[in-house]
Amino acid sequence: MNVHPRARDYTQSSLGKLIPDESELTAGVKIEPRKQYGFFTDTTVCIGCKACEVACKEWNNLPADNVGLTGHSYDNTGALSANTWRHVNFIEDSFSKDSGGKSVRDNDQSPFQSGWLMMSDVCKHCHHAPCMEACPTGALFKTEFDTVVVQQDICNGCGYCVPACPFGVVEVSKADGKAHKCTLCYDRLKGGLEPACAKSCPTDSIQFGELSDLQARAKKRVAELHDRGVHTAYTYGTPDGPGATGDMQYLNAFFLLTDRPEAYNLPAAPTRPSNRIAPALTAGLATLAGLALAAVALMASGGEEPHRGR
Amino acid sequence: MDDRVKPVATSREQDMPERRGWSGPTYYGRSQLKAAPFDPWIVGGYIFLAGLSGSAAVLSNLAELVRGKRAADVGRRGRYLSMLAPTLGSLLLIVDLHTPQRFYNMFRIAKRTSPMSIGTWILSSFIPFAGVGFLSQLGADVFKLAGLSRFARLSFAPAAVSGAGLSTYTASLLSATSTPYWAAQPKELAMRFAASSIASGAAALSLGAKSDANRRTLETIGAAALAVELAATVMSHKTVKAKGVAESLKSDWGKTEEVAALGLGVLLPLGIYAATRLRGRKPTSANDLAALATLVGSAMLRVSTLGIGDDSARRPEVSLRFSQPENLPPPKRRLKSV
Repeated sequence: MNVHPRARDYTQSSLGKLIPDESELTAGVKIEPRKQYGFFTDTTVCIGCKACEVACKEWNNLPADNVGLTGHSYDNTGALSANTWRHVNFIEDSFSKDSGGKSVRDNDQSPFQSGWLMMSDVCKHCHHAPCMEACPTGALFKTEFDTVVVQQDICNGCGYCVPACPFGVVEVSKADGKAHKCTLCYDRLKGGLEPACAKSCPTDSIQFGELSDLQARAKKRVAELHDRGVHTAYTYGTPDGPGATGDMQYLNAFFLLTDRPEAYNLPAAPTRPSNRIAPALTAGLATLAGLALAAVALMASGGEEPHRGR
Repeated sequence: MDDRVKPVATSREQDMPERRGWSGPTYYGRSQLKAAPFDPWIVGGYIFLAGLSGSAAVLSNLAELVRGKRAADVGRRGRYLSMLAPTLGSLLLIVDLHTPQRFYNMFRIAKRTSPMSIGTWILSSFIPFAGVGFLSQLGADVFKLAGLSRFARLSFAPAAVSGAGLSTYTASLLSATSTPYWAAQPKELAMRFAASSIASGAAALSLGAKSDANRRTLETIGAAALAVELAATVMSHKTVKAKGVAESLKSDWGKTEEVAALGLGVLLPLGIYAATRLRGRKPTSANDLAALATLVGSAMLRVSTLGIGDDSARRPEVSLRFSQPENLPPPKRRLKSV
């Protein structure tokens, strides 16, 4: 067993106080300001238990969105929203037929579950976060842990972050009129705790850690899967790969996938929206300038025209 | 029927996805993006008023610059029209916030990566000049003071500069998002909005113009702007088709755009101006109709653009098609992060 030596100091099941730097024991990483942290979500080991969804709701005190059945496999959550910051996708076999004609988890097992993909989706905490770049009040900001958080006491609910997000993550809550999304457990990070979803994940599908470390782990895992015959495995959101296109550079919360991004409801090639400001402003001002020049010419030439019919 | 029943693209089709829409998998047909929580009528109304006031300030200042006293009535109406954005327009912006009592947080920062922040400061720089111009014009009209109207004219001049920004920045507000219909066409949308702004400004100034000469010139400017808008509309539709977003033009909002923005707002006034000009008659009520149609069409262009954008964000076959690698911009110089 891979147990941190400090874990032996805390043998009781119930403690009266926090364990200092608890994340060292649970995630093997010490949380310090001015370092980059993120999530590596390895979908090949996700079992769809939704412990992450529950842990997130519990810790962040979020209400349920939809109490009912959607008919979409085991996914009754539906989508990320103002109140749902982790969402487990369930993708059944028929989706994945188009990845080379073979089912992604095709192997010698009996047919059931062999092509069933599960993926715990979350805010990507983008390097160039479009929501943060769009925010006109500065409510959205980069924390000392390189994560993206909405300051609830600043947000005025303009809603501009919602269409800015290329992943459909942020939402303005009808209940309080503010934008909400995953904070990567900013409060827990401050207290040296691993984010709730990652801590609760029983298969380590959700891994929390320093970004460079996670990216190295993901690279190793992809190579390992390729060796084992899962040639469809790739990372989504690592530097300049799929999901980090169009000047997005990289996502602090990235994924290991085995089917095309669209199957997981992810865009294949998102772009950085703020790069479209300059072309739009230039084209608009140029058009206006052209018409203003034409107006000056018309005013200068037609002014002496006698008033007809008077 | 479930979306999964749709035929799945072969690997060859994956390399060249259909122009119409995404034919690969979607996640149970669920939206991949979230639509902007803007009310199309409220925000579209603001964009219209910003364009109208901004362009009225630009055109009336130019008219007084070129024609001097002979265009005094144009300048006067320009100063009145320019008050629409600071008053009604600002109110619409605040009403559309989901926490309106915190509207002042817009003034906490200035941020060049956020067109909403850029727009906040453009509008803020427009308000004082438009306000002083309007108040002194009002004073001149009420107390018949010639000196005050000269002050109105001078103090209003800087409003032309921020008015140019106010007429155009709203296209970047929409394009700098991930909503496919807006993101697909930053340049084309900007050309349409700028031309529509000038057309609406000229139309509003021409209504009730005292001299036929000024009125005719304003109508010609309006017609030229409408012609540019028509050309930009053709370019815009071509671009969204090429980028696979055209399915959203078939939505109800798309039809609204075709009928109200293009038919009523561009083709009808262009036809009326052409007909009256060919007959060489003095402006009639048909010209008033053309100006009114231009104004309604300009407003409906903004409202329907917001609606079509929302539709494109909600439909996964549109957004997943739009975010294919073939639509990536060529690598360019990078904007520094904030």
